[in-house]
Amino acid sequence: MPLTSRERVLTALAHEEPDRVPIVIGVSNATGIKMAPYRELKRIIGVDAPETYMYDWPELGTAAVDEATMRRLHVDVRGVLDLEPAAVLERNRTREPHSDYINSWGSGAVEIAPDDWFPMVEPLADATTLDAIERYPWPDMDDPTRVAHMGAEAARLADDGEYAIMATPWLLFPLERAFAMQGMSRFLMNAALEPEFAEALLRKIASLCERLMGHVLDVLGDDVDIIKIGDDLGTQQRLLMSPTMYRSMLKPVHAEFIASIRRRTKARIFFHTDGDVFQLIDDLVEIGVDILNPIQTSAGKMADLAALKRRYGDALTVCGAIDTQRILPHGTPDEVRAEVRRVIGELAPGGGYLLSSVHTIMNDVPAANILAMVDAVEAYGTYPLAAR
Amino acid sequence: MTERSEADILDALYRHILGGEAEPSVADVQEGLGRGVRPTVLLFESMIPALDEVGRRFESGEYFLPEMLIAARAMRASMEVLRPHMSATDAPSLGTVVMGTVAGDIHDIGKDMVDIMLEGAGFTIVDLGVNVAAARFVDAIREHHPAVVGMSAFLTTTMPQIGRTIAAIRAADLRDEVRIIIGGAPINDAFAMEVGADGYAPDASSAVRVTKALLA
Repeated sequence: MPLTSRERVLTALAHEEPDRVPIVIGVSNATGIKMAPYRELKRIIGVDAPETYMYDWPELGTAAVDEATMRRLHVDVRGVLDLEPAAVLERNRTREPHSDYINSWGSGAVEIAPDDWFPMVEPLADATTLDAIERYPWPDMDDPTRVAHMGAEAARLADDGEYAIMATPWLLFPLERAFAMQGMSRFLMNAALEPEFAEALLRKIASLCERLMGHVLDVLGDDVDIIKIGDDLGTQQRLLMSPTMYRSMLKPVHAEFIASIRRRTKARIFFHTDGDVFQLIDDLVEIGVDILNPIQTSAGKMADLAALKRRYGDALTVCGAIDTQRILPHGTPDEVRAEVRRVIGELAPGGGYLLSSVHTIMNDVPAANILAMVDAVEAYGTYPLAAR
Repeated sequence: MTERSEADILDALYRHILGGEAEPSVADVQEGLGRGVRPTVLLFESMIPALDEVGRRFESGEYFLPEMLIAARAMRASMEVLRPHMSATDAPSLGTVVMGTVAGDIHDIGKDMVDIMLEGAGFTIVDLGVNVAAARFVDAIREHHPAVVGMSAFLTTTMPQIGRTIAAIRAADLRDEVRIIIGGAPINDAFAMEVGADGYAPDASSAVRVTKALLA
């Protein structure tokens, strides 16, 4: 009997070989598809489904991928997403067209060109004191409309039993939130000049993340296999901050966040972190990360998939690694297939690999390349893998 | 308190910029000027060597973004105090560089670092900011007659704007008047060749080398 998708994922996570390499696309923003390629994809495969946005958040631009398309893409995981409080969603739905989108944190996005939104509303831009953190009107994480819908969705998926379930609550990356509140360069300067403030801000944010995650775990109960969290720690060529700064300021925050999740659930910890983070992988393993994403192969040492597999293949499952900076947007379908074959050859032996694009499939990716990617998994990702 | 010697001031200014301490850096410049130290001595013997060392430490992996950002801020604050005391002949500009992040993109950290490093190296910077339309680059070339135009794009979806901006510069018959250098996360040498740029720099300190080489 063929494996269910969930069995396929759980086998790979157990570092054993399932029947084929599992696929994770369209499940969270980090593995998502932007609206333009989604629209084209539906047209090519003849699916008629409404164009709705992930998290009911049009400014994010990421499609809530319909079930028929998910099946055509052979996706083995289904996401269960939280929502911003109903009042915040309603306020944004009814706001003046083209005016800034402000989320429950008070941070938000500005429309710099039609339908092109960038996070530029930074409510704590000038803050450098503990008092400013104290006085800020932080979001209410106890608002029941954030998570009320998640329990039934997860229960339905669990009853069905076909797919692995990934909980992907949004806006819960502590460093990303600090950047959103202050602006990236301002927060990084504070991290260097005002470490006590920077650390306090991270801890305040993390306490809110933990609070909301607690509610998410409450409503999900046992109906969840994977919990997605993260923070972007790398740039194109190196780490964003020194290992010393990471270890003193942010690692304890991540460690406590993960520990608070692990105390509550057996679900695996999926950690999203862009860029070249090779130097910090030992740290992430140490604090309890099970699945590392997105393996940005275009960034520095992350290109060395053989070293990644050799050093971390036993400790970590990796998810991602199909390049979105060159191959998916600019490659031909043949190049996409060749890359899928190459990456599977490096990462999939023995299990421990979930195939996905490196971060969101952006508006410059032809839908034909998305199909080439997933269909190549059938061709090259069926176990036992062909000898390389 | 005993007065600091000129050498002590120069040494302190170097260390304060390297360590990203803006207020002490400014105080060093002010004390130096008050003591009659020539502006060019402060600039060439402390500030620029400090910035060179920042670049070296960034490339070698001792410095990361936070350290580089605060050093750049200290340099900028010191330059603001120093500049009114410099005459055009003190430190002739190596040329004007028009900088900007291309249309549809608002990422500016990398561009801002390039600004600081190029300014420290002696170039005059005209920064057009972020989300800069091709026509604004063209207008700025007409207005400022730069030797070099620097463009940044952080996203694969905004990279094509670099090509479009270069095409607009060409269409305005200005391509032969400027050298074009590009950068940003997804950019590489091959892309620079493809869109007809003159150079590519992966980070701010190499941007100085590439720019100088283009004008040599």
